[in-house]
Amino acid sequence: MPPILPDFSSSVKLKYVKLGYQYLVNHILYLLMIPVMVGVLIEVLRLGPDEILSLWRSLHFDLVQILCSSFLIIFIATVYFMSKPRTIYLVDYACYKPPVTCRVPFSTFMEHSRLILKDKPKSVEFQMRILERSGLGEETYLPPAIHYIPPKPTMDAARGEAELVIFSVMDSLFKKTGLKPKDIDILIVNCSLFSPTPSLSAMVINKYKLRSNIKSFNLSGMGCSAGLISIDLARDLLQVHPNSNAVVVSTEIITPNYYQGNERAMLLPNCLFRMGGAAILLSNRRSHRWLAKYRLVHVVRTHKGADDKAYRCVYEEEDREGKVGINLSKDLMAIAGEALKSNITTIGPLVLPASEQLLFLLTLIGRKIFNPKWKPYIPDFKQAFEHFCIHAGGRAVIDELQKNLQLSAEHVEASRMTLHRFGNTSSSSLWYEIGYIEAKGRMRRGDRVWQIAFGSGFKCNSAVWKCNRAIKKPTDSPWADCIDRYPVHIPEVVKL
Amino acid sequence: MADITYICKRTVVSTKPVQPGKHFSLSVLDRLMEQNHLRFVYYFRAPGAIREPGELTKKLRESMSEMLTSFPIVTGRLLKNPEGQWMIKCNDAGVRMVEARIKGSVENWLKGVDREKELKLVHWEEMYHKPYFWSTFYVQITEFEEGGVAIGLSCFHLLADPTCASMFVKAWADMTLTGKMLNNPPLSHQLPPRRPGRKNPSHDQPSMELINCYKSIADKTNLVSTDTKHATIALAFSDPMVRACMANGQAMAASDQSSPSPFEALAGLFWVCISKLKGAGDDLIDMSVCSDMRNVLNLDNGFFGNCMVYNRVNSKNLKEHKLPDVAKAIGEVMSEMDSDGIIDLIEWLEHNDVHQSPPTMNGCDLICASLEAVDPYLAVFEEDLIPVRVSCYVEPVVGVGHVLVLPSPPGEGPFSRVVMVTLPEDEAVRLCEDDLILSFSPTILMGVNN
Repeated sequence: MPPILPDFSSSVKLKYVKLGYQYLVNHILYLLMIPVMVGVLIEVLRLGPDEILSLWRSLHFDLVQILCSSFLIIFIATVYFMSKPRTIYLVDYACYKPPVTCRVPFSTFMEHSRLILKDKPKSVEFQMRILERSGLGEETYLPPAIHYIPPKPTMDAARGEAELVIFSVMDSLFKKTGLKPKDIDILIVNCSLFSPTPSLSAMVINKYKLRSNIKSFNLSGMGCSAGLISIDLARDLLQVHPNSNAVVVSTEIITPNYYQGNERAMLLPNCLFRMGGAAILLSNRRSHRWLAKYRLVHVVRTHKGADDKAYRCVYEEEDREGKVGINLSKDLMAIAGEALKSNITTIGPLVLPASEQLLFLLTLIGRKIFNPKWKPYIPDFKQAFEHFCIHAGGRAVIDELQKNLQLSAEHVEASRMTLHRFGNTSSSSLWYEIGYIEAKGRMRRGDRVWQIAFGSGFKCNSAVWKCNRAIKKPTDSPWADCIDRYPVHIPEVVKL
Repeated sequence: MADITYICKRTVVSTKPVQPGKHFSLSVLDRLMEQNHLRFVYYFRAPGAIREPGELTKKLRESMSEMLTSFPIVTGRLLKNPEGQWMIKCNDAGVRMVEARIKGSVENWLKGVDREKELKLVHWEEMYHKPYFWSTFYVQITEFEEGGVAIGLSCFHLLADPTCASMFVKAWADMTLTGKMLNNPPLSHQLPPRRPGRKNPSHDQPSMELINCYKSIADKTNLVSTDTKHATIALAFSDPMVRACMANGQAMAASDQSSPSPFEALAGLFWVCISKLKGAGDDLIDMSVCSDMRNVLNLDNGFFGNCMVYNRVNSKNLKEHKLPDVAKAIGEVMSEMDSDGIIDLIEWLEHNDVHQSPPTMNGCDLICASLEAVDPYLAVFEEDLIPVRVSCYVEPVVGVGHVLVLPSPPGEGPFSRVVMVTLPEDEAVRLCEDDLILSFSPTILMGVNN
């Protein structure tokens, strides 16, 4: 029986040992350079200027050699700078604040549910229990068509909601950034569940009279992680097109997807999904270098669709009565955990400091060679990032990630408060979370932000941003009128 | 007449969430009104500017949302407290709103409207099996295609009497017009307690008149009839005619007596006429008067809750149906409804609370209600959206009938009144042809259409 080491983690001494180790490994290059530099300096001082000059002449440099060397250096530098990927800047973004008349308190939601599902009290009970434990607040928003008794999810109403959300958020973005519609080079709109013809991107082009040579894309069916997929697409396009900007619109149109049946697994999205949207302006222009709020550092996409269970865990289908709804399977959390692990394995080496990577490598080697019973080392991502934006998919998702990544309550505060205030707004929730952090005044220059989103398929996508400049508390964010009330304590169960 | 198209039904919630855990208990006067509900219809003529259909409704809905923040009792739901009495839990559930459209214009509609048609402009739903999911207030906004709008408000009488229902609409109008409420939102909801000075151990008998009246109403609940088809007529009496009625109601002999109030005169007039119609011969049928007691109890006008008290008029000694005697009798009964009497009544009711089913207060006698404290014409929604007519109904009508005396639109003189009478259909028709009534040349605003 191997001796069980006593738990030292709470000891202060160990904390300092850890700090020392991290400093040593992370700055190893500098630490090695310093003795070398000191040595060279001492040598130079010892030799004196005359000796250095004679050393120089003995090398017999002639003009050709000097010219060739300089050309070589210039050539290598040029190749390096040309092949470096363009820096993508996030100039600014805008989040949609729905009108106050669209507010849905718990009691109204439950009442409507009762009136619509008159003869299915068990389904109503189920919805009530979900709502009590959901982590949502009393100020989330549903589109007008869902407020009717019974709801009227017509295509017209869905288009109405799309226009309301997307145009508001685009106007807001134009106002914030001073962007002229004619200057947009790339437009990407993502909305998973509503895909009319002509597409939503065509709707935007029509409304704002955008240029005829615009590169427009419309992503649908890609779930809640479609926002980051759009960012990835924009990044790739901006590598190809110099001196351009891209507008990404992320939203989810709730109107056509209000499930009107009574299958329990399909009623869950009704309780959680709410109205929201975001528009983001990305650019690769050098002129935006000092204006932009963030710089895109990495985007990592992981797709677990090859696994059948993962593929079927969020599945849109018809229930026994022929009503279409989204079926969430019971092992959603387990699959999400797996997808996250996969994503972390890829992103870890890109962002983690050397100290963490070394520890991880050593434990991995140790487990493979010495003792498979060693606990796998979970790298401390808090060292790589200052802020975490976990997609507000539901309380369970945030809890799971908080546990897996060993995050503190403050790290997941943005996600929890966004879930409370706006509900699950799907792909745009990450932007509300960043908005929360900015509104609280916690975003400083140089801070790194990690956005993680999950989506049907099953996908786990991450994006890493670095804050480019000091950000003042914004006055026109959707959090402006309520940020002082946050953070609120969200009870486990709200009694309805 | 044009058909009405119902567009949708939805719930309007307040703009700010209610603090959780708030409750309102209901007073004894509230609990007596459990069997009834109120319906109001406000008519507005077409404003000058042409609007898109649905635009005005949207604006009204938004301003109502804003206004509901100050009325948590309206957006709450009914629950029974541990003692088995009704109370309101302020759970922020909202108010039901129905939107409708109708062909034609308001003027045309008003020419040919009757009770059945008018009630289509007000939405009401009976209490559900589970009252916790049942809205106590309903608003219907009906836009007339050729201009004008009708707003119908119905509410459970347990929570509100006509005075505070009209105050609710006025608050909504103020919010639409100016963006804020001019009167303070209702804060208190308690009837005044007995003043300490009166807690005299050797205090003599509490004033029994009111108490006796309420006792007899409770006892008589078996005698209500429910099947007859009722009709409502609205008669407008101009200022000089009401003065003439009041002069008739003043006794010739005693000239130092003050003349009866407009309500007393009109109530007396209708009591006499309706008794004749009902074939009571020389006697007068049983009649109770009902009036708002906010002033008497020194309550703020914004008091939200029931504050109308009933009292029966003694008809034993009134043989010859002379208007002065009748008016005098009514006047005496009205003066019995003083502050002490009411407080004694409240105390008696609190001790003798009828738990299971309170009586239908309008169930047996002819009820003459003075709604002069209700000033519905103050509800101005926009510069040119002023009410041109307001109707009020107390439903269901299960007894002899109602006579509601309402104020007239402004500009017609301080004494002009509109009287809304609900009777079985054939009696209503005969009332319109009654000589005594016609001698005061009323304008028939709403008659009985066949």
